[in-house]
This record gives sequence, structure tokens and C-alpha cells, in this order.
Amino acid sequence: MTEKISLTVNGKLQTIEVEPEMTLLDVIRDVFNLTGTKRGCDNSTCGTCVVVVNGKAVKSCNYPISKAQGATILTVEGISQGMTLHPIQSAIAESGAVQCGFCTPGIVMELYGLLEEKPEASEQEMTNALNKHLCRCNGYEPIMNGARVAQELIKERNKASE
Amino acid sequence: MEYVGKNVMRVDALAKVTGLAQYPGDIDLPDQAYMKVLFSAHPHAIIKQIDTSQAEALPGVLAVLTAKDVPNNEYGLISPDQPVLCGPGSTKEFADRVLTVCDQVALVIAETEKIARQALKLIRVDYEVLPPITDPLAAMAEGSPILHQELNSNIFCKFRIRKGDWESAFRDSEVVIEDEYVTPAQEHAYLQPEAGVGYIDEQGRVTVIVGGQWTHEDQEQIAHSLKLPLEQVRVIYPAIGGAFGGREDMSVQIILALAVQHLHQRGISRPVKIIWNREESMIGHHKRHPYIIRLKVGANRDGKLTAAQAELITDGGAYMYTSTKVMGNATLLVTGPYNIPNVRVDSTAVYTNNLPNGAFRGFGGPQACFAIESSINKLAEKIGMDPVELRMRNLITENDTLSVGTPLPRGVTIQPVLERCARAAGWVKTEGGWKYPGSRITSDGDRPHILQGVGISCGYKNVGFSFGAPERCTATIELYGESEIEKVILRHAGAEVGQGSHTAFVQMTAQALNVPLEKVQLIASDTAETENAGSVSASRMTFMAGNSIRGAAALALSKWQAEERPVIATYEYRPPKTTPYDPATGKSEPNFAYGYVAEAVTAEVDVETGQIRLKKIICVDDVGRAVNPQQVEGQIEGALVQAAGYAILENFIQTGGQVLTRTLSTYLIPTILDIPDVIEPIILEYPDPIGPFGARGMGEMPYLPLVPAITDAVHAATGIWFDEFPLVPERVFNALHQ
Repeated sequence: MTEKISLTVNGKLQTIEVEPEMTLLDVIRDVFNLTGTKRGCDNSTCGTCVVVVNGKAVKSCNYPISKAQGATILTVEGISQGMTLHPIQSAIAESGAVQCGFCTPGIVMELYGLLEEKPEASEQEMTNALNKHLCRCNGYEPIMNGARVAQELIKERNKASE
Repeated sequence: MEYVGKNVMRVDALAKVTGLAQYPGDIDLPDQAYMKVLFSAHPHAIIKQIDTSQAEALPGVLAVLTAKDVPNNEYGLISPDQPVLCGPGSTKEFADRVLTVCDQVALVIAETEKIARQALKLIRVDYEVLPPITDPLAAMAEGSPILHQELNSNIFCKFRIRKGDWESAFRDSEVVIEDEYVTPAQEHAYLQPEAGVGYIDEQGRVTVIVGGQWTHEDQEQIAHSLKLPLEQVRVIYPAIGGAFGGREDMSVQIILALAVQHLHQRGISRPVKIIWNREESMIGHHKRHPYIIRLKVGANRDGKLTAAQAELITDGGAYMYTSTKVMGNATLLVTGPYNIPNVRVDSTAVYTNNLPNGAFRGFGGPQACFAIESSINKLAEKIGMDPVELRMRNLITENDTLSVGTPLPRGVTIQPVLERCARAAGWVKTEGGWKYPGSRITSDGDRPHILQGVGISCGYKNVGFSFGAPERCTATIELYGESEIEKVILRHAGAEVGQGSHTAFVQMTAQALNVPLEKVQLIASDTAETENAGSVSASRMTFMAGNSIRGAAALALSKWQAEERPVIATYEYRPPKTTPYDPATGKSEPNFAYGYVAEAVTAEVDVETGQIRLKKIICVDDVGRAVNPQQVEGQIEGALVQAAGYAILENFIQTGGQVLTRTLSTYLIPTILDIPDVIEPIILEYPDPIGPFGARGMGEMPYLPLVPAITDAVHAATGIWFDEFPLVPERVFNALHQ
């Protein structure tokens, strides 16, 4: 038994057949083959599956697909413009935050949800956002450093486009 | 141009921040089938019968495989003591027994993962359940039931060291400290659960794309179990989501190859994919060894160490994995970086029905370091001497001999490393020796329930395979161009598990050839395209790969000068030989290189809750040469946070051989809110005489001294010595309020 659902993924309106028990993560990975979004645990603990839905960072592994009807979804594949990285991506790439990289897409999208909505986010808000994510490689400090740099880059970009 | 020593951006950084990097679970092949594993329901049982008929009858199921389908039903890194699949009808005697819940009983291959999962539930396994033996001391005891039927004891490894006359030395010692230390298991918790895809490649090879730590070893293990010639098996590593030793043994490698081969023989040439969920990962791979270490250390009032006696017992779990190698390390490192004239060590590793224990960052070093450094700190307290001063009077030098009767390789730097750490943490050198000015315990007037202390510890970690294990690493360099080198290809099998090896390879290649980084392309980690590099373990890859790259580069340049076009140069690096423990005395040349480390910790203890908070860690590491300082810092910080988890947070629980902590919400690893407030990594660069560009290995050593530095800080704050951890609030609270 399948049902039809329409949603915008990385700027493209898509109508697909889904099984109702599917999660947004299942659809992103298995239907759209966008494998940048990861599955790291079974119970929404690790944060590797985070994507941006209607501007907010959410864990896609416990997001029923029916809830995504009409939604606008951004995944890590959808935020760079051609070869030009999003400021969060370049900051994270340069800060030493990337080791094994399995946590990286989720963290990039978490920061996207926070900083694109609220470039003035406080240190505490950034820490709270990153607290939804596990990283086993780098000890978090380089991620936080990358987040701070990204915040500055986003502010500069926003100022330039005013 | 200098490329070594620069913070070059990782070669995989862009692929990883854009989501384009493909990990094993991200790779799909046309027409692939899906596989699920049936794990054993019991930690100890005899499988009388397996009925797969209902599962096979489920529409969409392509095959159900059991022990009878495995051509040579055994595998293992050190000893092939584990069946690929447990059950009746095996080529291997006694493979009808399951010895742990990570034993695999059946494989279902189906059109979809969902069907495969449904089919698992239709497999009927008739177990004759046996009582599990989960206490290593019980398993060692005379008369214990034997777990491996082909053996006459559960003890599978014993080492001994005998140096000098420890008995009379203890009799004459003015101070003796004797304690029993107990260390916990630990789960690797890499974020990428085990996964892979197998297929028959264009040359007819059984091919597996998977995450691991040693392509060529995986290839050998698959060939062994499938009875295939080595060249008929191909192993490829894509991006790998962390390892820390946890991917050193087989997980899905052999079963993927088996599934593909089995289907192929039935005329079904389809790829097979598997992805473990987190629970399967946590049950399906080994853990860090828990240890019991009884340690006695003697000294005189002047602080001079006189003797050490240690008994080490570890729970190997159900199968050997790398237990013997881990124990080899722990046996050596349990007497620390000290010159101790009289030593006796007895080590025992034993089978139980727990999950196998095996490689995990530090490889026996953290357990041993906890014991000896704790005892050194206790000795300092008992003598009334500063713990830095006590160490300074005993640190090993190039003129001393280890417990195993031979000196360390040249380049021993533990003294400047400890000195730098002590100074950074506030110690000063006075006429009367090293002193910590004031008290190492402080409290905060506004928060009387918080006690704060400072602790210190040091250690050393071998680089490379030890005790006579064959040690080599091969690189191939190709040069293209006419008048000048236009393109360089480095072929190297060394695995990139996140630690930055591939970036270091490219930097070292550019440096050795004196060509720009952009000209260097890397073909990596494919047994069909690269030669054997050995594993990413034992802090060895930068050291070993660097030397292989330097050799290949020198050879390539001489061929280039001789006008060869294109140049193809292959070089196998072999470091100085090591030798195994003498069975009677332990005499040996254990290792060819080491790194040296010291740490100081400031910790807070909340006496009302038992909660420990790490305020500051200073970590001084002699890395020889930091090929990429940013990545070296990443290793230090990552190791410290992982070790902090081991010390105060992570609590892996098995009861009766069953795993209770099966998720990341019950097995807690540090989050950003759990990390130390300040980590100060201090990188020292005293070149290793035989390291490439002077580099030593360093991925493990920051891990080693953290636990004893924390327990020293907690003791400074509370007056209590903890000889067992993790220091979860309950344990600390109970000790404070006894």
C-alpha cells in the first residue's frame, strides 16, 4: 500500500510514491539516493541524519514521511552552488572538524538551520544545537571553531548582499 | 617547498562537507540483493538443528546460508578460532557451538532488506543452552568447563617477565605499594555502522567494498574461509566512518564474499549489500579488553624505584581476535617508562562467553598505564615526595634497560616531555627538586560542594607491530611527463579511517619528490591496485607509509634521472627487526620506535552528586615531526575526549553474556557538553632517528595517561584513590559517602 506525496527537495518539486511507514530519512537515502544524509543509530541519538525542513534542522530518521507533504527539504547536497561551497561547508572543511566525516553532513545542516535563520545566535545556542550530534573523532572543539568562523562568514555575506 | 609540517587541507575534506564522500552503506550497485544476519540468541549453546525452510519459502528470499555453506568455516586475525557461521554440518569440528552473542548463525539474502528481515524471524534454531562463563577468574579456575572443545584450558595466552631479584628487592624496599586495578570494557562507537557491498568484478574476482583497517588482511581472511586463491578476492575501501581498532577484525567482509560467491555458483550474478544497524554494530564487533591488574611497586625513601611485580588478567571474550598482541603490549607497558632494576610480570588471557575483546586505540596501553601511573602517584604520596620529582628520579633513558632486558631504541624523550607538561601545569623546579607551589586541591568559596584537584601522569606507546610480528609496508610511485614531472601517482593501500592518513601520504610524497601537492594523485586501498601496507593500527601508518614513500620516491627519482619514462617505482620498507618474548624470562627487543607523552588534568568533583567535570587537560606529545599539525592536534583532542569518556562516562554493560547497552542512548559517549573546558595540546618535535622526516606515530599515545591523571586529580581533590573506573557519578558518590 503506497501513497503519493509531493515535496521540494533541494529546490526541485518531486512527487513520489511512498510506503506510509517510511521516514524522511528512508526517502532521502533510498528514493532520492541522496546519501550525504547518514544513518548512524536506530533511535535519533546521533544526529547524522539531520536535514533542514522548512528552514529548521530536524532529525530525518524519526520524521514520518507523511509529515513532509508540501515541505521544503534541504540536504547537504543542496546548499552549495555548483563548486562554490556554502560558508558553513568551507569553515568546517578548514577548521579541522572533518576527520572520518560521517557526522559532518548532519552537523553542517544543523548549523545551516540555526545560522541561516539566526546569524546572531549566541555561543550557547550553537553549543545547544551541536549537542544533538555525536562525533567520535575530533573532540568537538574544531567543530565549534568551524561554527564560529561560519557565523562570521554568514554575517559578512548577509551584509554584502544588503 | 615544504609540504611536511604544513596545515594542508585534507584531501577528502571537500567530499565530506558536501556529502559526496561515499561510505560503504552509501554505495548501491544495479540489481543488488540485500543481506541480514541472524546472530546467536545465547552466549553459550550447542545448535542442534537449524530449520530454514520457512524462511526460504518466503517470496523474495534468494538464499539462506548456514554453517554447511561455508567452504572453510573458520577465521581469525591471530588464530582461526571462530566459525564464520555457527551450526551443524560445518567443515570445522565444534562449530555447532555458539560461544557469544556476536556469533553469526545464518544469513538471509533477499530482494529487499525488509524481506530479509522478515525471513530472519522464520528461521528456527534449536539451541541446547549451556551455562555461560562470563567471569574470567572462573574461566581460568581449575575444573572450569572448557569453551573451545579442541583445547584443554580456557587460558590461551601467557607471558612472563623475569628481571633481576625482585624478591630480595621487595624485602629491602623502604616503601611498597600493592593494589588491584580493574578496568572496564569500551565500545568503539564509530559513527558509521558496519556495511558493505559485494559483487563479482569484471575479472571474475569476488569483490567486497567495505570499511576496514587492512585491505590485504581482509583479502586473506576472505580467501581462507572461501578456499579461494588470494588473487580471486578483491577488497576495496571507500570512505570509512571511524575505526579506532574496531574494524581490525572481520565483521561483514567474509559473509558478503560468501553470499556473492554462493549466488554466483547458483548462476545468480548479483551484487549483495548489507548495512548493520547500531544494535547489530554494538553486538557484532569486539570491545576494549577489561583488565584486572595486581601491581606491587617498591621504592626507597629517596624515591628510587627498586622492584615491580605485576599480574595481569584479561577477559579475551569468546575468541582470540588480537588479545595476544594486546596482552603483549600491556605486559611490557605495565612497568611504565621507568628504570626498574627488578621486575616480575605474569600475564594471562582467557576465553569467556562475553563478546570478544580486541583492538581499541592504545591496545593494552591504557590499562597498563592506569595501573603503573596510579601506583607511582600513590608511592609519591606515601613517601611524601612530589609526583613529578619521583618520576624524574626514575624515568628511563637510552642507557637503561626495559623490563625485557634490552634498551629502548634511540630517541628516548620522556624526560623533556614530562618536564614540559609539568611546567605548563604550574610545577617549578627548585633546588630541592620539582614542586607544585601551593596545594593541588582548591575549592571555590561560592560553591563549597565543588572540590578541584590537579593530577599528573605520563607514558609511552610503541609505534608499529611488536614482538617479532612481520612488519613491512609498500608504496608505488609513478612519474609522468617528459622534461619535467607533470603528474605523480602514489599507489598505497594504507587505510583512511578518518585519521588523515591519505593527506599525510600526499604531503610526504610531494615533499620526497619536491613536486607541488596538486601534481600528486592517490590511488588507495584496493587490493587490485595497491600493494600490502599493513594495518592502520599501532600508531604505525604515518611512520611506515612515510618510510615506504621515501624509499619509492628515491627510487623513482633515480629512474627519472636515468631517463625512464614513465617511471614506476615500488619500494617495500622494513623497519629494524623486533623479537618475541622469551618464554622463561621475557627477554626481547619488543619495538623499533616509540612516542612519549605526559598529561596534567584539572578536575572538579561535585561532592553532592559525584559528578566529575574536567576543567583542563594539558597534553604534551613528542610526535617527532608533525606532518600536518592541524591533523595531529585533531588526533590529540579526539583521543583525549575518547579517553575522558572511558574514564568518567562510558559504561558498557554485559550480564550473563548478553549486551544490555545496545544503543547510543544507553551507551553514552561524550557530547559537546561533556568535553573538558580547555584542552591544551603541546606538540614537541624531537625527531625519531628512523622516522620519516623524523615523525613518530602518535594516534594512540594521548589516550594512555589520561585515566590515571584524572584519578590523581580526583585524589588530590577528595583524598580518595579510585582503582576501578569508569568514574560515573554513582561510583564516585558512593566512595565519597561511605
